[in-house]
Amino acid sequence: MGDKDPEKEKKKGGLFGAIKEFVYGVAAHDSARFALKSRASMEHLFILITMGDMLGVPILPPYYSLRLLPYVVPQISTWKRRMLREKDLTDALA
Amino acid sequence: MNSVVVLIISLAVFFIGYRLYAGYIDKKIIKADPKRATPAKMYMDGVEFMPTSKNVLFGYQFKSIAGAGPIIGPIIAIQWGWLPALLWILLGTFFIGWVQDYASAMMAMRHEGASFGGLSHKLISPRARIILLSFVYFYLLLIAGAFGNVVVDTAVRLKPAPMAWLFLTIAGVIAGQMIYRWKRDIVLTTIVTVIIAMAGIWLGTVAPSNTILGDTLSNNRLLWAVAAFLFCYFAAVLPIWKFSLPVNYVAAYIVFIGLFVGLIGILIIHPNFTLPAVTSFSIPIGPVWPIMFVTIACGAISGWHSIVSSSGTARQLESELDARPVGAGVMFVEMMLAAFALIIAGTIYASPAEYGAAIKMGPGSVFALGVAKFLNAVGLPMEIGRSYGSVMMVVLAITIMQLVVRFMRVATSELLSDVHPVFRNAHVGTFIASILGIVLVLTGWWQYLWVLFGGANQLMASLALMLITAWLMSEGKSYAWAFWPMIFMFITTIAALLYTSYSLLDKVLKGAVKGQALVGNTLMGLVGIFLVIAAVILGIEGVKAFNRYKSMKAKTPEPVEAA
Repeated sequence: MGDKDPEKEKKKGGLFGAIKEFVYGVAAHDSARFALKSRASMEHLFILITMGDMLGVPILPPYYSLRLLPYVVPQISTWKRRMLREKDLTDALA
Repeated sequence: MNSVVVLIISLAVFFIGYRLYAGYIDKKIIKADPKRATPAKMYMDGVEFMPTSKNVLFGYQFKSIAGAGPIIGPIIAIQWGWLPALLWILLGTFFIGWVQDYASAMMAMRHEGASFGGLSHKLISPRARIILLSFVYFYLLLIAGAFGNVVVDTAVRLKPAPMAWLFLTIAGVIAGQMIYRWKRDIVLTTIVTVIIAMAGIWLGTVAPSNTILGDTLSNNRLLWAVAAFLFCYFAAVLPIWKFSLPVNYVAAYIVFIGLFVGLIGILIIHPNFTLPAVTSFSIPIGPVWPIMFVTIACGAISGWHSIVSSSGTARQLESELDARPVGAGVMFVEMMLAAFALIIAGTIYASPAEYGAAIKMGPGSVFALGVAKFLNAVGLPMEIGRSYGSVMMVVLAITIMQLVVRFMRVATSELLSDVHPVFRNAHVGTFIASILGIVLVLTGWWQYLWVLFGGANQLMASLALMLITAWLMSEGKSYAWAFWPMIFMFITTIAALLYTSYSLLDKVLKGAVKGQALVGNTLMGLVGIFLVIAAVILGIEGVKAFNRYKSMKAKTPEPVEAA
């Protein structure tokens, strides 16, 4: 009973839902992306702090790093991709 | 011809182009597959790669590509007559514009969301990437100059504009505080700040800039150029949530409401074109070919779109099937916007002489009068409508300008930080970008500046089409639909840039220009020559890459059928 068909949910929104999403896309989607990018760059720094322990080279006192580690682990794979992906000026443009 | 007929023809082109041509390419050649995982799904990081609804992306793509470009281009190009301008808008979008926008997104999606630098390295050559990135810097400079000129012209010619612009900025800053600091409801914030911005539009008519600053100051171009770049300076160095984002947020509503109500006004008045269908092959800016084809860039085809499609949209599409509505669909909507601007310019003046006098004051004046006329049809007084149109023009131009100055700051840091660490400083990079922009705005003749910007933009489009052709060749797909548009754009753009640079430098060498104009003509002429050289090198690299793919195909053995 609790399960809802996502297709039906989509249709329920109909034209009004589409207009709502379009207005969000025009007015606020860019802002949301910028906010996410800012947060991600902060998280990169955070991961960098705890990176030493992951590699076995302590940078901070290990006690604190180890306490931070569980928060970092879920993001390691996407963090690696973001850090290693080739970037250029056009990335900043959009 | 009646303006409604033009709208109907444009809608027919939209329907045939989107449903039939784009549909055929999407299904039969690209073979968009809903089951194939897109980069947004494969590499979802919650930041850049994130599956997003096609409706949201439609709005995002529209907002990112539809600035002042599709409006100003047709307003200037109508000097050759409305018919060639309309034909280029419709045929350019039908055969080239959507091809570039859609295929750029598709190409980036099939290459794990790679950006143009990486794609040009892989598909063309390592040198292509270096040239492309240094080309982008000059491209950005020309955008800052051309759009800065529009802002300054509008502020000088339309006295209500500065007050409306100031109130919009205040409304934006308040919106930032309300959303991010005071944690207020977004709907309440939107209503309050849009009302403040609207109040500024009304106040502009009550207290125009000449009554506050006096005639001398309100007509001073330097003052408004400094104001425009100061605005961009804040946008570039302040935290993005405090200034740039909320100002753009409020501005989006002002522009959207204006366009929507203006369109209703056109349908109510449905005026006839009063300007001639064709005037002359050659006008003071230059001949119809190649100059008109770069004067109308956005609205027919624009290189800027390919950057948005590849680095932005391609990383968010949740299904390959969404690339057509978002990439191609939005381009056709922009074509409609350009047709709307053409109708404004072509119908609001009683005679060509009247239009001729108005265009000398800049495209902002033409646009503001048109908006005023069509808003008047739904009951808004002409004076307030003119103020509304002027702030729309400022907003459309300065939104792109502030973005460009921010990126020029990043580019300065990337290109020059090895020369001296001082270039890493955000204020230094922004200052350099602003000074270069101000020099162009104050010393360049705006119509040449616009043509050069259009040339750089179209060159970017040629490069995007070159990458698309190389990608299609490398995949063994049919490529004529991208190859021939690329050839046309490449030849046309290089011809336009050479013509404009020659005209500018010829005046300098013959001593026909002096003082400020000498600086402006020389600077613009040299930038034009640089762009041509960069394009020729890239063209040679492109031909080498095409030959490489052709020889690879020739060497690949045909599959042997089992006996």
